Formats: sequence, C-alpha cells, structure tokens
Amino acid sequence: MVAASAAPPVVPGYSLAFPRDHGSHPDFRTEWWYSTGWLRTARGARVGFQITFFRSRQAIADANPSAFAPRQILIAHAAISDPLRGRLQKDQRIARAGFDLAQAREGDAAVWIDQWALTRASGAWHIAAPAEEFTLMLTLSPTQPPMLNGESGYSRKGPAPAAASYYYSLPHLSVAGDIVRDGRREAVTGEAWLDHEWSSEYLEPEAAGWDWIGLNLDDGAALMAFRIRDRHGGVRWAGGTLRAADGTTRHFAPGDISFDPQRRWRSPRTAIEYPVEWSVRAGDIAFALTPLMDDQESDTRATTGAIYWEGAVRAGKGGREIGRGYLELTGYGEALLLR
Amino acid sequence: MVRETSCRTLLEVRGLAKRFRADRPPVFSGIDLALGPGEYLAIMGESGVGKSTLLNLIAGLDRADAGAIRVGDIEVTALDDDAATLLRRQRMGFVFQAFHVLPYLTVAQNVALPLELLGVPRKESAARVAAMLTAVQLASDGGRYPRELSGGELQRVAIARALVHRPQVVLADEPTGNLDARSAAQVLALLREQVHAAGGAGILITHSLAAARTADRVLTLTAQGLEPLA
Amino acid sequence: MPRLRLWWQLWCSQWRAGPVRMAMPVVALALGVALASAVQLVNRSALAEFGQAARALSGDADLVVQGSADGFDERFFAAIARVPGVAVASPVLELRATLASRREPLHVVALDPFRAMQVQPALLGEIAGRLRGLLAPDGIFLSGQAASALGVETGAHLEVLVGSARRRLEMLGRLSGAAYPRALGIMDIAAAQWQFDRLGVITRIDVRVAREANPVAVRAAIARMLPPGVTIAAPEVDDARLASATRAYRVNLAMLALVAVLTGSFLVLATQTLSLLRRRSTLALLRALGMTRGALRRTLTAEGVVVGMIGAALGFAGGIALARWMLHVVAGDLGAGQLVSLSGSLAVRPADWAIFVLLGALVAGIAAWLPAREAAARPVAQALKAGDAGTAFAHARSPWIGGALIGLGVLLAVLPPLHGLPLFGYAAVATLLTGGVWLVPAAVGSLLARWPRPRRPVPALALAQLRGNSARAAIGFAAIIVSFSLMVAMAIMVHSFRESFIDWLERTLPADLQLRVGASDGTATLESAAQEALAQVAGVARAQFRRSRPLALPGGAASVQLIAVPIESGGVPDLTIVRSAPATAGVRAWISEAMVDLYRWQPGEHVTLPLGRGRGLAVTVAGVFRDYGRSTGSVIIPRSNYVAATGDTTANEAIFWLERGAHAATVVEAMRARLGLGAALQIRTTSEIRERSLRSFDRAFAITYALEAIAVFIGLLGVGVAAASTALARRGEFGMLRHVGMLRRQIVTMLAGEGLLTGVIGAGCALVLGGALSIVLVYVVNRQSFLWSIDLAVPWAQLGLLTAVLVAAAAAAALTGGRAAVGGGVIRAVREDW
Repeated sequence: MVAASAAPPVVPGYSLAFPRDHGSHPDFRTEWWYSTGWLRTARGARVGFQITFFRSRQAIADANPSAFAPRQILIAHAAISDPLRGRLQKDQRIARAGFDLAQAREGDAAVWIDQWALTRASGAWHIAAPAEEFTLMLTLSPTQPPMLNGESGYSRKGPAPAAASYYYSLPHLSVAGDIVRDGRREAVTGEAWLDHEWSSEYLEPEAAGWDWIGLNLDDGAALMAFRIRDRHGGVRWAGGTLRAADGTTRHFAPGDISFDPQRRWRSPRTAIEYPVEWSVRAGDIAFALTPLMDDQESDTRATTGAIYWEGAVRAGKGGREIGRGYLELTGYGEALLLR
Repeated sequence: MVRETSCRTLLEVRGLAKRFRADRPPVFSGIDLALGPGEYLAIMGESGVGKSTLLNLIAGLDRADAGAIRVGDIEVTALDDDAATLLRRQRMGFVFQAFHVLPYLTVAQNVALPLELLGVPRKESAARVAAMLTAVQLASDGGRYPRELSGGELQRVAIARALVHRPQVVLADEPTGNLDARSAAQVLALLREQVHAAGGAGILITHSLAAARTADRVLTLTAQGLEPLA
Repeated sequence: MPRLRLWWQLWCSQWRAGPVRMAMPVVALALGVALASAVQLVNRSALAEFGQAARALSGDADLVVQGSADGFDERFFAAIARVPGVAVASPVLELRATLASRREPLHVVALDPFRAMQVQPALLGEIAGRLRGLLAPDGIFLSGQAASALGVETGAHLEVLVGSARRRLEMLGRLSGAAYPRALGIMDIAAAQWQFDRLGVITRIDVRVAREANPVAVRAAIARMLPPGVTIAAPEVDDARLASATRAYRVNLAMLALVAVLTGSFLVLATQTLSLLRRRSTLALLRALGMTRGALRRTLTAEGVVVGMIGAALGFAGGIALARWMLHVVAGDLGAGQLVSLSGSLAVRPADWAIFVLLGALVAGIAAWLPAREAAARPVAQALKAGDAGTAFAHARSPWIGGALIGLGVLLAVLPPLHGLPLFGYAAVATLLTGGVWLVPAAVGSLLARWPRPRRPVPALALAQLRGNSARAAIGFAAIIVSFSLMVAMAIMVHSFRESFIDWLERTLPADLQLRVGASDGTATLESAAQEALAQVAGVARAQFRRSRPLALPGGAASVQLIAVPIESGGVPDLTIVRSAPATAGVRAWISEAMVDLYRWQPGEHVTLPLGRGRGLAVTVAGVFRDYGRSTGSVIIPRSNYVAATGDTTANEAIFWLERGAHAATVVEAMRARLGLGAALQIRTTSEIRERSLRSFDRAFAITYALEAIAVFIGLLGVGVAAASTALARRGEFGMLRHVGMLRRQIVTMLAGEGLLTGVIGAGCALVLGGALSIVLVYVVNRQSFLWSIDLAVPWAQLGLLTAVLVAAAAAAALTGGRAAVGGGVIRAVREDW
C-alpha cells in the first residue's frame, strides 16, 4: 500500500482569497459548507432551514487508481424546522466523489451529490435539495462581505495550535426561492447565514463536542460564538466574532464567551438531553436564546455517524427579540468524532 | 391300483375313541363298525356329537386316541400324513355340504380331478368322466363352469367326482344341507344308486331322518358309541 | 350414527384379523406421499432460498442492467445515473474470486455501499454502521455461509488468485444468514476493481426508478444507450434462472415420486378389491339387511379415503424427515451441485399437510371406489350364494379404453416442453402406464390362454386357477407391473445415460493430463509466461491451452460456457458432433445441444457473441455437439479468433500429452512447483477424472436405485398380500383338494407355481411396458429436462437379473402367503359355508 500523502496543517498567516476559497480544499481532511436561515412563507409562517455539505478526505484510498476510489466522501444534510410540525423534516445524502455525479469543486463554490447542490454563480449562492419530505430551491444573495473568523480566518478550536480551521462566515444573506412540501410549492423570503470551514485536525481527542451559534442581529450586526466542551463537561476552548453593522469586527478570546443552559429538553427517540434554552454572553453582549421549537434533533448516524441538535433560535434581551439564527449542540450523546 | 373285489370287509372300525382335550370326557369311544362292498350306511346324531370327527378319523385327517381303522387291508391309524393322503386319493371319495366344486375348472375338469392326481391317462380319464357325468345326469354339461349350475347340479358334480375313481369308501357329510327338498331327494337317490353301482362302501352323515332312510342301514352316534336307530 | 358404528366395528375386526394386510396400502401410500412431498419441500426450500438470495442481491431495484462476466465500461453507470427518472443507479461488479485455499470460487459482489444502501437495504442493513470500514482498499465482508465454509472469522485474511498473482483481503465482518442465505463476499467496488485487475469495468447496474417517473419510458431510455451484450430487465428474470437450476434434480425425484404414488394407489386398489372379495358375504348380508347400494358404495369408498388420509398424513411426516435428510446429506449430489451450501431450513406450511392429505385421500378414494362400485352393483342373492367368489369382478375392462390411453400417451410424448419442463413427458409416462395396466387383464388373459397346458396335474391346476381367475390375478399383477415397469424404464434410462456419458468422457479427455485453474469463471488464469513454463515441463510431449469462461447471452436465463480451444483452420474440435453445417468462411463456432433448445441457434446460422468490449465476435455455427458437462449451454470457438477479438491471451484450462515413459505424478509435481497457485490449481490424470466422474454419476443415481428398490419391494409385498388373502379365500378349495388326495406339498407347489407364473407374466408385461416408457424417458423427458441427447442402450444383464429376482420373489411371496393357508385348519375349512 502506498502511504497516503499527509493532509496539510492549518496554520496562521494564510490569506483567504475569493472566489478561490469558496471552492473546495481537497487536501484538507474535513470541510463543510453550512447554511442556515429563517424563512417567511408567502402566508407569513416562519420556518427555519438548514443545509450542510460535508467533504471528508479518505487518504487510505489515495493509491487506488479506480475511478470509484473513495478519495473524497461527500455528505449532505438538509432540514426544515416548522413549529407547526413540531419536529424536523430532514433528509441526507452520502456519496463518494466521482463521475461528476458527486463532487466538491475547486476554484469557486460548487459541491453536489446527485440532485443536491450548493453552487455559487454571479455572486449568489444557489441551493437545490430535492429531499424525501420537501424540496429546497433557494438563492442566497450576500448583502455584506465575508466575515473572517479568528485571526484572518485562522480559527483555533483548542489549546493546541494545530487544532484549528480556516473559517469564514457570510451573515445577512438575503433569501428568495421556493420550498415544496406535500406537493405544494411555496415562495419564501428570509435571511440566512453561511459558514465555510476546512481543517485537517478540527477537534482534539480530548474534546467531546461543541455548542455553536450564528446570529443575524436585527441591527445589521452578526455574531458567531462557540465553545468546545471536554469529556467531563468542562469548557476546553471558546471563541467568536462580532461584526457590527458598520463593519467593525471584534474577535473573542476563550474567556470572553460563556454559555449557560437555562432549560433542557429530552429527546423521546434517543433519550439524549439537550440544553435548548441558554443565556449567552460574548464580551459585553448578553442575551437569551430560545428555540423555535424544542425538537430539532438530527439523527445522521447513517452518514456522519452523529446525533446532534441543530435548530432555529431567537435571541432576546429583556423580552425583546434582537435577532435570529441557528444553534448547534453536538456531543451530548456520544463524543463527536469527525472523520 | 389294486381292485378289491372280494366279499371282505372294506371298512372296519374297532374300539375307536377320540377326545379333544385331556381334561374332558371323550367325544365318543367304543365305536365299532364294519362295512362290506355295496353297503350304504347312514349315521345320524345331534350336533356336536362328533359325526364329522368320525369321518375325519376314517379319512386319516385326524388322529384317534384309541382304536383301529382299516380300509381294506390298510391300517389308517398307522399312516403318516402323506400315506394317508395317498390312501384317500386311491380308495376314498368325498361329498361335502358346500359342494367344493372349483369355480375355475369346468364340470368335466372338476370330475377329472381325482383321476388327474392318480395319473390316469387322459384318454381313459375322459371316458370315465363322460361315463360318470352320464350317470349323474349331467352328460351334456361337462364343458360348463360351476357358476352356471344350480346347487343340486353342483352336488351331482361332486358325487361324480367322489366316485369317478371307483373308491372303496365314499364319505358324504351332510350332502343335502344346502339343497331344497326336490334337489335333495334327487341327490340322495343318485348317491345311493352310485354307491351300489360302484360296489364300494358308503357312509352318509346327516341329521335328517328322511335322508337317513335312503340308506340301507341307519345308526345313531352317541358318546357311548354307534347304536341302531331306535 | 348406528351404521357408522357398525362399520367401524367391522373395519376394526378386519384390522384385528390381518393387521399386516390392512397396513400394507397405508405403508405404500405413505411411502409415495413421503417421496412426493419430500421432493416438493426440498425443491421449494431450495427455490425459496435461491429466491431470497436473489432478492437480497437485487433488493428494491426496479431494473437491472446486466452485462456479461466481462462487464462493460463503468462510464455507462454515470450516463445511466443521469437519465431522467432514475432515482438511484447502483454500480455492481460481480465476480467469482478464485481462492488459494479452495477449489470453489467465492461469489463476490462489489458495490458502492452508499448507493447500494438505497437499493439493497436488506443486504447492507446489518453492516450499515460499519460501511466506512468497507472503504479500505482490501476489505471484504463475508456472509455467514461463506465465513463458515471458509472457516474464517473477522480479522482473518483471505488469499485470492488474480491471474497468477496472489492478493490478500481482510475479512471485516460477517453478515447474518438473514441478510444473505448463501456464500457471498461483499466488497467496495473500488477495492474490487483494483484488487481483481478490473479497473474501469462493472458488470451490473441496479436501477431504482423515481416515484413520479414512468418505468417503461425510463427502461426504454436506458436500453437505447446500452452497448451490445448488455441487457436491461426487471429483476424477476433472475427467479426463472434460479428455477432452472434445480431442474436436473427434480427430474430424478419427480420420477421416483410418480413410481411410489402409483404403486401405492394400485396397492390400495388391490387390497381393497381382495378385501371386498373376502367380505362379499358380509357385504351381501348388509345389503340384505337393508343397506342401499349407494350407501354401501359410499361406505366402501370412505374406507379407502380413510386409508389414504392416514397414509398421506404419515407419509407427509416422513416426507419432512426425508426432505431434511436430503437437504443435509445428499443435496449436492441430487442437485448436480446446485444445492450445495443450502442453509437447510425447511419451510413447512400447514396448507402442505392439507394438500397432501387430500391428495392421498383422493388417490386412495379413487382406488377404493372402482372395486366398491362393482361390489355394490352385484346382485345380493348371488353374492349370498356359496361359491360366488370366482365370478366376482370377472368381466374384463374394455381394452379400447386402454388402447385409447396408450394412443394419448404417444401423443403427449411428442409435445414440446412446457415452461422448459417436460410436463407432457411426465403425463405421457403416467398415461402410458395407466393404459398399459388397463390392458393387463386382457393381456394376461390371452397370454394364459395360449400357455401350453402342463402334463402334470399340479402345475395344470395352478395354470387353471390363474386362467379361471385372470381378472383377480390381474389385480395382483397391477401393483407389480406398475412398480417394475417404472424401474425397468429408469434402469434403461440411467444405463443409456451412463453409456453415452462414458462415450462422451472418452472423447472429451483425449490427453493424459487435464489442468484447470480454479473454476472457469474464477479470477485466476494462466498468463502467457505461465503457459510456456508449463509446456516446457520435462515429460510433456504436447500441450494445449484453452480459455473457458461464462458468457451471458441476451435472452438467456443462465450464462453459457465459452471455450476457446486451439483449432487449426479447417479442423474440427474433438467432440461428439451430432449435427454439422456445410463448410463456411469466417469464424466457426460449435454449440452444444442446449444452445439449440435455449437460443434456437442452428447449424449454418450467423450469430454474434458478446465478447470483448466492442461490438462482439461474429461467428457461424459449424456444428452441434453433445455436452454432458453443462446443461445451460456451451460454445466452442478457435482460440486464435478469441484472442483476436478480446486480446485475452490467458488460459485457464490445459491438456497435456506426456512423453512415453514419463511419470504423471512427477510431471504434476513439477507443474505445481512452477506455478505456486495452491489449491486453485487442479491437475488430474485422465483416468482419475474418468473414475471421479463415473463415481459421482453413480452416486447421483444411487439414491434413485435405493428408493426404486423400496417401491418394487412394496409392489412385491402387494403380491404377497394378494396371495395371502387369495389363499385365505381359497381355504375351502385347499381343504377339498386335501380330501381328494392332494399332498400338502403339492398344494404348496401349486401356490408357488401360481406365484411363479404371476411373476413371469408380470415381469414380461413390465419389461414390455417399461421398455416403452424408457423410450419416453430417454427421448422426451431426458431431452427436455437436461437439453442433451443420449443414445438408448438396454442393460440386458441388469434387466435379466432384476427379472429373475422379481420372479423368484413373486413365487416366494405367493408361497409365504399360501403356506399359512394350508395349515391344519384347512381340513375343517371344507365345512365352512364360504
């Protein structure tokens, strides 16, 4: 067996360039494009959506000359959170890259698995996901430039400098498109968020999971905050970015961030308990997080091997809503393993 | 085959006794009997008194407990099964209540059975069968099968078969038991006539007095022996 | 139900009087039903398992795009996946991996688990959590059957032969029997392409059509883009292929079941008839006491039905046991290797019991109804009369019906197979047999009438008895004629097959040594260098290398075997050619007889073989040859043409002529040392192969003989029963004969003579009838089942011996039955008013 070529490390000082860095970085072990948002249907109902494309490099297959060689595995998850349904409508796809049936292209954002796709064209991001219970057909148009997280996109995930990713976010994306449910097409509008992150060593072995939020604040500001939990429930690392409407950006150190659980919800399917209401502080901003609905658990054991909670949340301060976004809670069942 | 033409006794029974079980009294004992040529005897008796057993003993088909039986000059009680069989073949003829005419043989073939067993040449056999059938008034029926005959006719076939080889002793066991009165009378007359004609000795077993009276002499069998009809 | 109670008492008293006699038809029917139901159960279990395996493999696929074992370009997968209306396209590379440790290749299905999960969830469900492991370039999952057969556990390594090279695969895990009931390895398609040198190639694509799409249109759209030799079909086709796999084995056993059931029903007929004869005065009395004719007929038929139900119920229980045994012990041989590695689970449904019990009741009911009708029809007065026995059942059946049945049988024999099975052939056998048995009384009667009358009185009496009772004697004959004629027919067929097989072996094995690398469809081959090395082994005078491989033809259920053999231009391969075409130009091909039946190819015809990845090889059929090795068809072409068409210069079979004085064992050892292919390399001397082949041939038919012998034995028991009950009925006759001066041994001799005569005439009739049936078996049933011809050859010595045994056994059976009847009671029997 030919030894697999090593994955490049994530180091500070890399200068992100677009559209190149919208595209895939196939040498790195892990990469994802992650888009969430709040939508309003033509009839005024509010629903959340989430779609993620993962790329996972399998260096073990490097030597195999077969066109089927699973050098890159692509996984996609999509979900709609509709409080009227009380649970997620979700679906997933997995495929090996190849034959142009599934691919994560370099140079600009273009990643797809059969009919599911996330592509960028004429400056806008296009999402297509015909799933079992629904179809997402959305166009996401930027209203702000990319927000680089960490040190110019070098985002640390733990005490070890190598535990890091290249990471930028696109907040306040304006959404237009359709969702189809039960054979009914509904026009939707709304506001979305897109993360693109790639890494070779995302989590340290000691880490068990993370809590993450990405919020579009009503005043035009954007907040990303996360913390990495260790296997004993303690906080191993934390970080975040706040960009004000005027573009001034503040990066948070681990000590600037705190997540305090306020209410827990227990999944009837997996019996895992998730803190679904939080009190969050990032620097001098403090606010409360309440979910659009409690049951936003995703079981993706068939593809990523993980069960997690990922849902639409409201940010409130003194009883007043200040913004909306998505909360991601991983590693509450078994420790998360990114492969 | 030796023909006995003398006036000697053809069948002699002396002191005959038979018991079926050792712990029971004998069926009969002290039976004495002697029959000469042309003598035709009827034996009567109640059911179970041993009439048929007596016939079996005479025929060598059963063993006596005491006494002697002579057919001509042969002591029957001393014979083994094969010798007794040969004796029957040569010197005895039988008529049964149930006829026992073989259904798969023609009348003539049935009558010829004893001659076949004795190895009589076919030509002579045919002549004797024909003569015998004429004697029993079935001259034209030789080619018929038993199923075409009436009971009386069947018994006449049996009489012909019993006499065709000119036996010294003819034993008839209730020959009219299955027949109507008219046929019975005809059969009895024929039997009597043929026994006399053949010059042998005949024993007719019956419990019909009318039948018994066709014989020359009538005896009654009791446990004590044979006694003349009261 | 006082009448029922009365009947029950009478019936029970019969059982008390003659338990063996009464049990005989029950046993015979039980045996027949046991055989029939065992065949049915084994067959269905096998098919169910094949079917389950097939379904697990094809999963929820709506369409299957199937190429030959050569496969086709993997890019068709991408193209088909993009056809509108295709929900999932799952590429598959199927191959038979030659293992270094074992002769049987391992069936490997290589797939993209991410796509296969959407089509074959049942197959992959168990390893869903471990799918990532499958991405290892040398990983393989084994089905429970495969792991047990290979004796390996998770973590073990398997050595496979690819060409002449060895590769190591790691066993990643084990599938349960529920996921896949047969031996199978599952690999990642990329790993398999790489490990087995099949880069760029797939053999199959499973397609699931989108819910909203029109399957017909999708199928048409895909069909338009397929290369020659690649077909698209709904997965049901697979089931038909599997059904044909057990054909050979069914032919054999179905025949045996027929033997047993027919023998059993004739035995019911015989016993019931004789029992009615014996009871005629009882029956007449019942009629006289006021039982109606219809009631009597119904009650007597009911007796048969009860006997049939008991026999069938017992038989089905026996059938289950027999089926278990067959699955576990003899499956491989009976199925000509098709049923190897069955899991041995037997599915018995309650409905099966019901069906077989009803079947038994029906057969026995009919067998009892025939004599019951006659018994009930007889005038009471006559039946009550003494001496009626001989007249009963005397009227012979109309020979016209027998003649008509035989004519119908001949007609059925010339009909073509139905659904690929010789159903009309079987019907012809049954019809001819029934017709033959129908004619038995007439035939026996005329034979007896012509028989010279013996001089001596005792044999004459025996003959007269048979003559006078030919109708009753015919009953005794029926059982024996049915069983023996079928045995004769089977013996002739098997002998013919064996003789033709030996002849074929001689022709097929012209050289001294035969070499094979794994199974012909395995992955191991001999490359040019290896071929040269073998030819140069000391002691080899001449070597001939062949390439043998399966070839899937459009329209065919199973793949045919293609054999590329060195043939000089103008030369003819060394085969048993049964037909040939006039010389033609172009590439010549010789086809086996099965090709004519399955694909309707004829000598002189131009056909295209889907060879290589191009548009195939156009050949002209030069001749038809006989091939007992492969019932699914084989094609022989010159190797030079094969190499030109495919570029494949490898070989996987070879034959060697040795130099005079060369020691075969030494040469074989040298060859093994040169190649290092392990157990996959089989080298055998011609005589060794011949012996092995004949041994396995004989073993395959051994069970046939054993079971047939049982059927004949039952037939003989029938003769014994008939003799015994006849003798019992004739006690008065024996008594009279003893009075008249017949010796005991003369009576016994007479009975033996009757038995002997029955045996001789029965065997004679059976030989004639069996000979006729064997013609149907050889030229119709065999031809249509196996798709190959055999030449009729009569095993005279064997038949002579069988006949002698039968005649002796018939005499002995009559004697045994009669001896009891001549005992002491006979004397008194003259006084019974019978």
